[in-house]
Amino acid sequence: MTGTDFLALSPIIALAVGASVLLLQIAFLRNLKLTTGITVVTFLACLFFLFYITKLNHQTTPLLLVDPLSTFFSIVFVLCACITTFISYEYLKNRPGRNDEFFLLVVLATMGSIVLTYATHLASFILGLELMGIALYGLIAYPHQDDMSLEAAIKYLVLSGASSAALLFGFALLYAITGSLFFPDLLSGLASPEVAVGPQSPFWARQLILLGSALILAGISFKLSLAPFHMWTPDVYEGSPAPITGFLATISKGAVFAATLRLYVIGEFHNFPTIVTGLTILSIISILVGNLLALRQENIKRLLAYSSIAHFGYLLIALIAAGTLTPNGISAIEPSAYYLAGYIFTTLIATGLIAAISSSNNEENANLSDIAGLFWKNPLLALCLSVSLLSLAGIPLTAGFIGKLYIFQMGVEAGAWLLLSILIIGSGIGIYYYLRLIFSMTTDPSSSRSTLAPALPVTVSLITLTILVLYLGIYPQPLMEYLLWNT
Amino acid sequence: MENLPLVPLIPFVSAALLIATAGRLPKMVVGLLGAGSIAAAGLLVLNIGIEFLRDPTPMSIHLWTWISINEFKPAFAFYLDGLALVMMSVITGVGFLIHLYSTEFMQDDASFSRYFAYMNLFVSAMLILVLADNLLLMFLGWEGVGICSYLLVGFWYQDPANGAAARKAFIVTRIGDTSMALGLFLLVAELGTLNILEVAEIAKERWEVGATIPTIACALILGGGLGKSAQLPLQTWLPDAMAGPTPCSALIHAATMVTAGVYLVARNHELFMMSPLVMSAISIIGVATLLLAAFTALNQHDLKKILAYSTISQIGYMFLALGVGAYSAAIFHLMTHAFFKALLFLGAGAVIHCLHHEHDIFKMGGLRKKLPVVFWSFLIGSSALAALPFTSGWYSKDEILLATWSVPTLGPWLWAGGIAGAVLTAIYSFRLVFVVFWGEAKTIPDKQPGLRMSAPLIILCVFSIVGGLINMPLEQVFPSQTNAHAAGPVAWITMTIAIVGVLVSYLLYLRQQINVEPILNKPALKKLRYFWYSGWAMDALYDRLLVRPYKLTASLLKTELIDRFYNLIVESSVASHRALSITQNGKLRTYAINLVVGIALLAAFLTGIV
Repeated sequence: MTGTDFLALSPIIALAVGASVLLLQIAFLRNLKLTTGITVVTFLACLFFLFYITKLNHQTTPLLLVDPLSTFFSIVFVLCACITTFISYEYLKNRPGRNDEFFLLVVLATMGSIVLTYATHLASFILGLELMGIALYGLIAYPHQDDMSLEAAIKYLVLSGASSAALLFGFALLYAITGSLFFPDLLSGLASPEVAVGPQSPFWARQLILLGSALILAGISFKLSLAPFHMWTPDVYEGSPAPITGFLATISKGAVFAATLRLYVIGEFHNFPTIVTGLTILSIISILVGNLLALRQENIKRLLAYSSIAHFGYLLIALIAAGTLTPNGISAIEPSAYYLAGYIFTTLIATGLIAAISSSNNEENANLSDIAGLFWKNPLLALCLSVSLLSLAGIPLTAGFIGKLYIFQMGVEAGAWLLLSILIIGSGIGIYYYLRLIFSMTTDPSSSRSTLAPALPVTVSLITLTILVLYLGIYPQPLMEYLLWNT
Repeated sequence: MENLPLVPLIPFVSAALLIATAGRLPKMVVGLLGAGSIAAAGLLVLNIGIEFLRDPTPMSIHLWTWISINEFKPAFAFYLDGLALVMMSVITGVGFLIHLYSTEFMQDDASFSRYFAYMNLFVSAMLILVLADNLLLMFLGWEGVGICSYLLVGFWYQDPANGAAARKAFIVTRIGDTSMALGLFLLVAELGTLNILEVAEIAKERWEVGATIPTIACALILGGGLGKSAQLPLQTWLPDAMAGPTPCSALIHAATMVTAGVYLVARNHELFMMSPLVMSAISIIGVATLLLAAFTALNQHDLKKILAYSTISQIGYMFLALGVGAYSAAIFHLMTHAFFKALLFLGAGAVIHCLHHEHDIFKMGGLRKKLPVVFWSFLIGSSALAALPFTSGWYSKDEILLATWSVPTLGPWLWAGGIAGAVLTAIYSFRLVFVVFWGEAKTIPDKQPGLRMSAPLIILCVFSIVGGLINMPLEQVFPSQTNAHAAGPVAWITMTIAIVGVLVSYLLYLRQQINVEPILNKPALKKLRYFWYSGWAMDALYDRLLVRPYKLTASLLKTELIDRFYNLIVESSVASHRALSITQNGKLRTYAINLVVGIALLAAFLTGIV
């Protein structure tokens, strides 16, 4: 290990140190405020290191590659984790029982997301994924007196376990043929089946690699909740504590997508038409199913779950179109990274507000009626939520619009007309249920009993995110350039 | 000159502050912010102007690239040259005087803060419009002034009539703006850029003069100018727009926004020169509009409507000048018009302010002694409007008419139209002065304009007289005009024709020596006068031609037919939603089976079994 290695790993080390300190602190002194403070300091330290290494491009051990793009993703995730901490504190401070370990799990899950983002090796991939996953099981089940939350955690545990099994089996098949777990080597056997190790004939080698790819694709699709692997999403989102719904919808999915993006581009999956066709089918079903299921949904958490299914369907279009545009598939990175960042910020506003509403109502779920009249009660936060919903719907002047425009343009250049028409239909349906939420905020406030007055850090975080979403929507150039320069 | 971006920024920040505080600031502070921000912008312009005149090289300031998709990279960049400087000076100079005047005029209004927020936002948008170095940014300013105009016309929104006027102004200009947007799309598609300098350059390389595509592009862009500047056939909105507060009419609907169309053509004159057909159309539209509006102004009796029609008519002169290639004459008239028309509007505002909101000129009279400052303002303003010798309007109108005469073939005809318009202008502007300020007093003013209203009037009086002597730095912007001045009699007629009009007006309205009442009341003439009064019945025509068929179609379609198709989409979406919702039954077994089936199908598909 050289100094550069340590520098490259410094964000992960910062989180690990923070987690240890948290463990010790909880063992000796239980104090929610102190725990929150240490967590925030940990995240800030991690952010500091991340900003320090933005220009670094370094392979440290075969497992992790630190490059500007993954550092960018990590910054987004840690920032969101920090905001999640503020929201969680609001949520936890009035709950009965001991709540300190919550933050420990948040730190561990965030660490998992960074490992996942930096992974260039299937071992680090699965390590990051499970580090994040296991922390999340605990977080989902955290309010353990609550039946809903336990049910959600068990559902997630069983199904996620099954999908991880599929993923691992896929890895094993690839390893059996190519003898490597390193991303660039994975599909080398497919390009030239005769170099495959082992006794198989080229035909069987090819078939096994494709079967392995299918299993990996299925496993990843589950984590990204792409249809038809989406069914767990609404139930788990609904049952989770509201801040964790936000974590699941943003950081957890974002990290899996970031890792998938790297696997896809470095592993050159885009060169294989059957895999691309498979992705196309997943994308089409996800867009349609996600949007249609959200259509008349009253529960906002479930609605956001369905909408996230559709959004990851849109995101796949960038991956599908990439292969036809550039031989190395690198054109997938800029639009999908932009879209992902915009989506994460946008969704965090919405889930943050839901968390704030459920904290003040002392109830897990926010329905359409709970935000009725929000414009009259708390115009500032209602404005934030409106911006977030408009961004999700892809209305101009928001990050969501630029992201969609980007993806749309890629689709046009690649001539993916079927996908584009599905994208248009999906967006059209989407506008209905997003606007429905905004309309409900303007209705007569007397019908809802909720009051909404979150603490200052939460309000400030939500407003900051809103400004970020508007900024990315009005002036996208700096981030576009950053992404372009670093790919 | 690096502080050029601050010029639109200062009013914008002030508008943002006023909007954010939503009327919670004391009136004193609002007034200081509102008028002070324009004063600060004006001083900056003065500073920039002095620097620019010392070293008159055009410069552009690139702030940032807005978005960059392949070759299309519209910038947020400002371009400073003589034309932009003239426009900026008019906007901030006249704008400041009007803001100062407003602090007193609007004193008792409950929405004092809202008024200044809109006005400052307007000034900011107008400055962006004239400073933009590309047509996209200009379009941002263009739409910005449009929305401010809408907000200010409907400022007293409690009265539904004002709301209707605001909507009319918005919708009619929107028709022009749509045409302009189409023109811009065509430019992007054909030339790949919207930068004004690049457009002119590439257009010259790629197109031939008089070819079809430049003609279509220019005609579409001109559509935007016609809407904004209230020229035929989109002139109907301006008289209704007088529903707004009078100082805002002075700023937006007289001095600045309505002349944006003139600026648009002048700024893109190299593009427009690619299409002689459109240029001729501009001059013919100009003459037709100026005559039509002058006839209408002659028959109005609402003080502000007379001024509104006279504005349409004077912008007609500017379009005439543009059409014959006399760009600097057009901008010259734009500037002098801004002085004397702002003066007249502010004077009218003072009259209305002091006479319990009376608008009808036949219910006024004899105000010469009662409101001396206003009287002198009106006298000077009307003289300049009528282009009496040695007033500012005389210099600019003279230039326009002489340039028109020297145009081959069409020239003399257009000139004759312009001269006829000049006579009419003199008649109606002095009709206004004689009726309102002489004769017997019918309404007694209950107050006098204070200092903040009188000072702007006096300053504008000075500019209306000496404004014709200002030497504009436009030599580098426009091609130099070679056409020499016309020969003896034509020049003499052009210079003195206005006096004839004043004399006619004197005889008809002050001395009343010729009794025209019996002639005017003959049925045929009465009908004609009513026809003119209604603005050549354009509103009724559009109502029959466009509004009613549109409403009829809408009401036919409202019931069924096309809706059925859309309802089908809705119903099928809801049905699929229901069907899919059944699958989300919350049972782990179902989900697990679904997962396994999904994996199996994916594996089968990828390995080629299915």
